Amino acid sequence: MYIKTAYSTKGTSDEVIQDLKSQIGVFDTKLLVFFASPRLAPGIISQKVQNAFPDAQVFGCTTAGEIVSGKMLKNSLVAMAFDATAVNDLKIEVVENPKNENSVKKAFASFESHFKASMADLDPSKFVGMILVDGLSGAEEKLIDKIGDMTNVTFIGGSAGDDLKFEATHVFANGKSFTNAAVLAVLKPGVPFTFIKTQSFCDLGKKLVVTKANEEKREVIEFNDKPAAQAYAEVLGVDVEEAPNRFMHNPVGLLIDGVPFVRSPQRIKGSSMLFYCGVTEGMELSLLESTDIIADTKQSVAQAQKELGSISGIININCILRTLELDQKQLSDEYGKVFSNVPTIGFSSYGEQYIGHINQTATMLVFK
Amino acid sequence: MAGKIKQMIDSIINQRAKDNPMLVGVIKSKLMLKGIDPNKFTSTSDDDPAIIAKLEAVMKELK
Repeated sequence: MYIKTAYSTKGTSDEVIQDLKSQIGVFDTKLLVFFASPRLAPGIISQKVQNAFPDAQVFGCTTAGEIVSGKMLKNSLVAMAFDATAVNDLKIEVVENPKNENSVKKAFASFESHFKASMADLDPSKFVGMILVDGLSGAEEKLIDKIGDMTNVTFIGGSAGDDLKFEATHVFANGKSFTNAAVLAVLKPGVPFTFIKTQSFCDLGKKLVVTKANEEKREVIEFNDKPAAQAYAEVLGVDVEEAPNRFMHNPVGLLIDGVPFVRSPQRIKGSSMLFYCGVTEGMELSLLESTDIIADTKQSVAQAQKELGSISGIININCILRTLELDQKQLSDEYGKVFSNVPTIGFSSYGEQYIGHINQTATMLVFK
Repeated sequence: MAGKIKQMIDSIINQRAKDNPMLVGVIKSKLMLKGIDPNKFTSTSDDDPAIIAKLEAVMKELK
């Protein structure tokens, strides 16, 4: 066994750490990834996890709920330990002030120095990137866009949460806790890996073209040359007043080869619409309708299992809006059970990243 | 002037993907997420300065 998972719902941070250590047991941990409820003081828990695994490199973030094999949790800490067979090599960098593109360049220079290769030339079949971002920074689009310009290595991850308080979200690296920051990690796994990007929506065949936007503020001012809220309500066939009640069930998406990259509406502001991720003028979006999260996730995991032959670990970053929908439909237990037979950790996130920044999606890094 | 955008898109895809079909798909996706749909530009498409500026930023990273 070269990947081990653990979780704890104990009361104090010391009890949580003790629980974690006893579950991981005797194991030569090279990398430890963990996701922690914000009830555990972020600065303290980050330091304590690192102290508990002094020889490991450690990164993670705060959550809006946690996931472990077979269960969706709250107020817990979940962790995945990798030995040197699972991850041959890695480098972690913290990008502070992630809206500043020079900070990404600095991190990439460090990766290049560590791996002795240009990030532009690094083989995406041998290396993988993980990204965890302060979920309140609003920096995700610029960050993942810049990363995508600079490398072919796939970066997958998500935005940290804080139990829907929207006060402060934290990312962790090597014993410290950061806000207004992102953690980037480049891994050289020793085992094959793949990705899951799953969202449960069908295309209703109705187009909304962004004709006027304030991209910096994630605001669409006009769709189809009409006030955005009016145009959205019209394609749904409802009044503008009713439209916000449909946001979770009917987001919009950029279809790429028929697969939606979901943009979730947050609220109506005047006649505009604010979104949870970036929208660009000229982008042709499709009206979506939610389908079956459980069935789609099962299918995605089965497909990854088929591709790899077996799965030894999944890191699952699951949008908080999916978690809320599962709660609403009383399907949280069933969702947890999708991962019963697969070593899994994850968290409910304020946004997901895979190629771009997306919403209402689960992004997963899967190891054979 | 026309056709510059398609030329730039083709150049980015060639340089970045190096004939790897999987990477061709990923790079096209990245462009679409920037608001540039590669399938919409031909050798007769107008040279929109806003799109050219976005593509120049991508090409800068290739150097």
